[in-house]
Amino acid sequence: MLRDVFLTCLLLAGIGSLRAAPPDSFAVFTGKYCTGCHNSTAKTAGLDLTTLPFDLADTGNFAEWVKVHDRVRAGEMPPKVIKERPDPAAQDAFLQLLASSLIAAEQKATATQGRATERRLNAYEYENALRDLLHAPWLQVKGLFPQDGEAYRFNKSSSALDVSHVHISRYMAAANYAIREVISVKAIQPPTATTRYYAREQKSVIQKINNPRGQAGDRAMYPIFGLKPQPEVFSRQEPMTVGAADPEARENEAAAWVASNYVTGFTYKWDQFKAPVSGRYRIRFKGYTLWVAPLPEPKSYLPDWERISAGRRNEPVNVYTRDGVLNRHVGSFDLTPEPAVHDIGDVWLVAGETLVPDASRLYRSRPNNYRNPLMTADGAPAVAFNWMEVEGPLYDDRSFAGYRLLFGDLPVQPNLDVRSTEPLKDEERLMRAFLRHIYRQPHVDSADVKRFVSLVEERRKAGLSFTQAMVAGYTAVLASPKFVYLKEKPGRLDDYALATRLSLFLWNSLPDEALLSRAAKGELKRPGVVRAETDRMLADPKSRRFVDSFLDYWIDLRKMEDSTPSSALYNDYYLDEALTEAATAESQLFLDDMLRHDLPASNVVDSNFTFLNERLAVHYGIPEVKGVAMRHVDLPPGSVRGGFMTQASVLKVTANGTTTSPVLRGKWIMERILGFEIPPPPVVPAVDPDIRGAVTIRQQLDKHRSDASCATCHSKIDPSGFALESFDVMGGWRDRYRGVDENVPAIKGRGKNGQPFAFHYALPVDSSGVLPDGRRFANVRDLKQLLLTDKQLLATNMAKQLVIYATGSAIRFSDREQLEKIVQAAKSDSYGLRTIVHNVVESDLFRNK
Amino acid sequence: MTLPRFATRRPLGRRRFLRGVGVSLALPLLDAMSPVFAKSSKSASPLAPGAKPRRVLGICNNLGLLGDQFFPTGQGRDYVASPYLKLLQEHREDFTVFTGVSHPNVDGGHPADICFLTAAPHPGSGSFRNTISLDQYIGEQIGILTRFPSLTLAVNTRTRSLSWTGTGVAIPPEDKAAAVFKEMFLQGSAEQIDAQIQKLDTGQSILDTVADQAKTLQASVGARDRDRLDQYFTSVRDLEHRLQASKGWERKPKPVVKAPVPIDPANSAAYMEKVKVMYDLARLAFETDSTRSVTLMLEGTNAPVLEIRNAHMTDSYHNLTHHGKSESKLAELKIIDGCHMKLLSGLIADLKSVCEGEDRLLDRTMVLYGSNFGDANAHTCFNLPVILAGGGFRHGQNLVFDRITNYPLPNLYVSMLQRLGIEADKFSTSTGTMRGLEFA
Repeated sequence: MLRDVFLTCLLLAGIGSLRAAPPDSFAVFTGKYCTGCHNSTAKTAGLDLTTLPFDLADTGNFAEWVKVHDRVRAGEMPPKVIKERPDPAAQDAFLQLLASSLIAAEQKATATQGRATERRLNAYEYENALRDLLHAPWLQVKGLFPQDGEAYRFNKSSSALDVSHVHISRYMAAANYAIREVISVKAIQPPTATTRYYAREQKSVIQKINNPRGQAGDRAMYPIFGLKPQPEVFSRQEPMTVGAADPEARENEAAAWVASNYVTGFTYKWDQFKAPVSGRYRIRFKGYTLWVAPLPEPKSYLPDWERISAGRRNEPVNVYTRDGVLNRHVGSFDLTPEPAVHDIGDVWLVAGETLVPDASRLYRSRPNNYRNPLMTADGAPAVAFNWMEVEGPLYDDRSFAGYRLLFGDLPVQPNLDVRSTEPLKDEERLMRAFLRHIYRQPHVDSADVKRFVSLVEERRKAGLSFTQAMVAGYTAVLASPKFVYLKEKPGRLDDYALATRLSLFLWNSLPDEALLSRAAKGELKRPGVVRAETDRMLADPKSRRFVDSFLDYWIDLRKMEDSTPSSALYNDYYLDEALTEAATAESQLFLDDMLRHDLPASNVVDSNFTFLNERLAVHYGIPEVKGVAMRHVDLPPGSVRGGFMTQASVLKVTANGTTTSPVLRGKWIMERILGFEIPPPPVVPAVDPDIRGAVTIRQQLDKHRSDASCATCHSKIDPSGFALESFDVMGGWRDRYRGVDENVPAIKGRGKNGQPFAFHYALPVDSSGVLPDGRRFANVRDLKQLLLTDKQLLATNMAKQLVIYATGSAIRFSDREQLEKIVQAAKSDSYGLRTIVHNVVESDLFRNK
Repeated sequence: MTLPRFATRRPLGRRRFLRGVGVSLALPLLDAMSPVFAKSSKSASPLAPGAKPRRVLGICNNLGLLGDQFFPTGQGRDYVASPYLKLLQEHREDFTVFTGVSHPNVDGGHPADICFLTAAPHPGSGSFRNTISLDQYIGEQIGILTRFPSLTLAVNTRTRSLSWTGTGVAIPPEDKAAAVFKEMFLQGSAEQIDAQIQKLDTGQSILDTVADQAKTLQASVGARDRDRLDQYFTSVRDLEHRLQASKGWERKPKPVVKAPVPIDPANSAAYMEKVKVMYDLARLAFETDSTRSVTLMLEGTNAPVLEIRNAHMTDSYHNLTHHGKSESKLAELKIIDGCHMKLLSGLIADLKSVCEGEDRLLDRTMVLYGSNFGDANAHTCFNLPVILAGGGFRHGQNLVFDRITNYPLPNLYVSMLQRLGIEADKFSTSTGTMRGLEFA
C-alpha cells in the first residue's frame, strides 16, 4: 500500500511534462499491472508495453496509447480474472498523466494544423453553391461528379474528398454549363404563357391508346369522354381528338388507364411539353378517378372499358420530371372521382424537362401472364387525365439576377451573344464584381483580378468573342482552388471562415449576403450573434439541405434505392416507389421536426408521433390516414413505430431486399444510435441466408456464435439487431419469416408487378435478446425502453455526429472534454436537438479550424 | 507525366503524310513520323511504347437468344455444339461460350440492357443510377492512345446506350454508320479543326490560370493542407496532358480507307442489314486503330415486323420473344436468332482475314456477344447467353457454371481488362477473374 502511495506521487509529479519516452512512472504502473502479459515474450494482443515507444506525434503510436488509456479506464484492463486490482488512486493518477500527455500532444499538432485538414466542397455543396451564387435554383449538376468518399461516416472530411483530373474537368463542365444556362434564361426569355397539353395529343399516350406492340390488354390506355367510353376512337374510326375546333368537347376528352408506368416515366409522359428555359413553372393537372368493370370470363382479369362508372376512391398521383433517364419527384396530389384541377404548385424545371403523372397505387405489369392485383369480381380502379397545364416560365426580380452578376446591364442576343462596346473596361469591371461575389471574401485580391482578366484577354486575342472569353474566365473562377477549397487557417477561425463553416453546416452552401455582411462588420464575435444567425438559417427553407444530407450519411438514407425488394419474396413491395419515397420523407420530416421544436435527443430511439401518408400508414397498419400528403400523426399507444430505429427507411437500408441480418442491424444501432464504433470483422464467410424458410437467421447465428472468437464481439453487436427481426426488408411488421420453396404452396395473391405471390409463411420470428450488460428484452418495445434509460448516451452520440458533420474532423482524444461540455449544457433542456446544434456552434471545436 | 501519345500507331508513310498535307501543313506533325515501335519494350502496359494494340467490341442483343437453341451440352473442349453454335462452327477454336453466368442483382427485364456492360444492380428501380461501363473504363485508361477513346454504336436506337460514364451519364449511341465513318475517315475542314483546337486551347488556358492560383495558395498553408492543394495541382496538370493529347489528334490527318461510305438502311425493319453495316464499321475502326473500345447495342424491342430475306415474319421481333411456347412464333424467332449468329460468324471471319503485324486482327480484338436477357419470354436476367471470341485467349470451350446460383459475368470483364494490359482486379460486382479462361 505504501508503495502505491509512492507510485501515485510519482505519477502526479509527471503531470504536465511532455516527453518523447514514456515517463518513468508509467513503467512502475504498467510493470505492476500490465507487463505480466504485455511483454516482449508473450506480446498478448500484439502489445508489448515494455518496449512501446512514447512518440505521440506519430499517429499510430498515439492511437496505441489511447487504447491503453481507454481500456484501463473502462476497467477492462487488467482483465477481471486477475484478482489483484490496481489501487484506485494510482490508476487515476496513471490515467490522468497519460490523458494529459495525449491531450498536450494533440493540441500541439492542432495549433499548427488545426483539427480539420483543408478540403474541397463536396458535390452537393458545389451544386448548392452554384445554385445560390448564380441565382439558379433549378441547377442539377451534382450527378456530373464522381461519388464523394466517406470518412468518419460523412462526406465532409478532407480524406473523403480527393481530387482527380476527372473532378477538374467536371468543375469546368459544370461551371460552363451553369453559366450558359444562366445566360440562356435572359437571352431566350420566352414570354410567360399558360398552355394546356391535352392527354390525347401526347405521342406516348396516343401510342398506348392505339395499342401497339406490348401495350395490349390492360397496359393499353383507353379514350373516354367524361364517363362515356369512346370505342370508336379506340378502334380509330374517329379521330383521337376533336382538337382546337371544339374547345368544349376537347375539355372532356381524357385518356384512362388501370396500369401505371412500367417504371416511373418509362412508358408515357407529357411529351409535347419541354421547358423552353430553366426556371420556375406552375403545373396543374386535370383528371379524375373511375371504376372499370371486368370483361366476361375467361378474360375477367382485363378491364371492360365499355362499362365504366365514377371512381370509388381517390388515387394518389406522384409527379416526376422526365428528361432522358433522370427522374425527380416534384409534387403529388389526390386525384378525385370528381373531375378537378390539381395544382401542384411551382416547380423548378431544367430546360428540356417534361413531366409525368404516376398513379402510384396502380400496378406495374411485368411479364409473363401478368394480372392486375387490384382487379376484383366487381372491377378495378382506374385514373383518367384530361390535360396538363403549364404556366411559365414565371419571372420575378431574381430571375435575371444571375445574368446581372455575369454581365451587368450589357444587352444579350437570343444566340447568347453579349455585346460590349468597351470590352477592355467591361472585362475588368465585371470580373472584379464576379470575384467579390464568388469568393465571399472582404477584399478582392488584385492578383486574382489580373489573373482572370488576362485569361479573358488572352482568349479574346486568340479569337473568342467577348462572351466566350468571359465565359472562359468565369468558368476558371468556378473551378479555381479559392472557390473549390475551404479557407480555414489553424487556430480561431476568422469571421469569414466561421460564416462559411456555419453555412456549409446548416445550408450545405456558401454564406448568403446577410451572413457575409455580418462577417464583414466583425459582428460574429459579438455574443448572441452567431446564435441568432443559426436560428435565422434554421428557419430558412435551405436548412432542409442540412436535414437531407445529414440523414443521407448518418442513417445512410442515400442508400434507399441500393436494394430492391426481391420479386420472389416481396413482390407486394417490388416497384412500389410511393412506399420508398414516403419512407424517405418520414425520416426527413422527423429530423426536421426534432430540430424545429428542440425535441429531446431520445426521440431518436422512441417517439409518440411520426410522419405518414396513406401508403406508409397502411404499411405500418395505422388506420385512418388518407391521402398522398405526408403529415404529423400521433401514434396509437403501444405502437412499435416512432424513433428512427423502426422507420421503414432504416429497416430497408439495413437489409438487402431479400433477407435481414441481426448482425448488420445490431451494428447499425451500436454505431448510429449509441455512438460506438465497431471494428471491421476478420475475413470470414458471411452467413448464407436460407430463403426456403427452413431455418431462421437466429438458428444460423447461434451456431456461428458458439465459436468463442466470434462471440466476444458478436455478443455485443447482435442482440439489439434481434429486436429488429420483427421487421422485414421494407420495415413491414412480421410474426413469421417468408420463404420460397417449390414444395410448399405459396400464399394466394398478387404483387405490384402483377405476378402471383411465390412465398409462404415459414418459421416464427423470435425478437428477444440479452444486452451485453445482461438486461433482457422480449421485443423491440422492450429494447427501446432499455435504450431510453441512458439519455445522455443518446445525446452524446447526436452531438458527436453533428460535430463530425459540421467540422469535418473525427472526435479525437482531446476533443472528448469539449463534446461532454456540449452535451452537459443541453441537459437542462432534456438534450433538445436544437439546443445541441446551438451548443456545437458555440463550442471551440466549431470555432477553431 | 509523359505519355507516349503516338506510340502504338503505325508510322505514317511519306505518301500518306503528303495526302494529309492540304489540311495540316502548318501543324507539327513530324513527331508522328518517327519510328515509334520500340520492339524491345518489356512492359505489359498498353501505354508502353511498342505494346501490342488490343481492343474490345461489346455487343448486346437486347432481346436475347433462345436458351435451348443456344446453350451447348457437355463442357470444356468436348462440348457438343447447339443448333445456334453450329452456325459458328468454323470458328469453334476462336471463341468460348459461357453457361450459367449473369450479373449479380441485375434484374428488371428490359431496362437491364443498359447494365450489360456496367453490371450496376437493380436497373428497374425508380432512382436507379448506372455506373461506368467496361468500354468507358477502358477509354479512361487507354483512350489517349487513339483518336477516339471509344465508340458507342447502336442499331435502331439513339437513346438506349451500352456506354455509361463513371457518373452514371449515358453516352448517346450513334445509329448512323455513315456519320461515324465520316467522323473517322473524312478530313474535317480547316475551320472545324481550328474551332476544335480553339476549344481545347481555351481549356488549357483555364487550367493554366487555376494552376497558377493553386501555386500561390500552396505557399501559404501548412504541410497537411499543402498535400491537399498539391493533389489539386497534380490533377490540373494531368488534365492538361490529356487535353494536349486530344489536340495532337486534331492535328493529325485521319486514316485513309478504301471502303466506301456505308449506306444506312432507312427502315427500322431492315434490322439485320443495319447490324451488318455496324459490324463492318467496327471492324474498320479497329483496322485503322481509330479506337480500342466499341460498344454496339442491338435494340429490338421497338422494331416492327422484321424484313428478312427469304423469310416471312408475321409479328414484331419483340412480340415474337414473348412466344408463350407457340410453335409458329418460336419458328420465326429461330430464324431471327439464326441471322444473328450468321452475322456474328461473318464478323469473326472478317476480323480473321485482316492482319496486323504478325497477328490476325481477331487475335487482338475481343468480341463479346451477349444479352441482358436469359429468357426474354419470361423477362429473366440470369443464365445469360454469352460468347467471347478472339482477343488472345485460349478458346474452343464451353465454361459451365451453376445454372441456379450463376457465376458473376463481371469476372469476365476483369479478365478482359487484364488481357488489355490494364491493371484491374475488380469491375463492378466481380469476385475475381473468369475461372477457366486463360490467355493464349
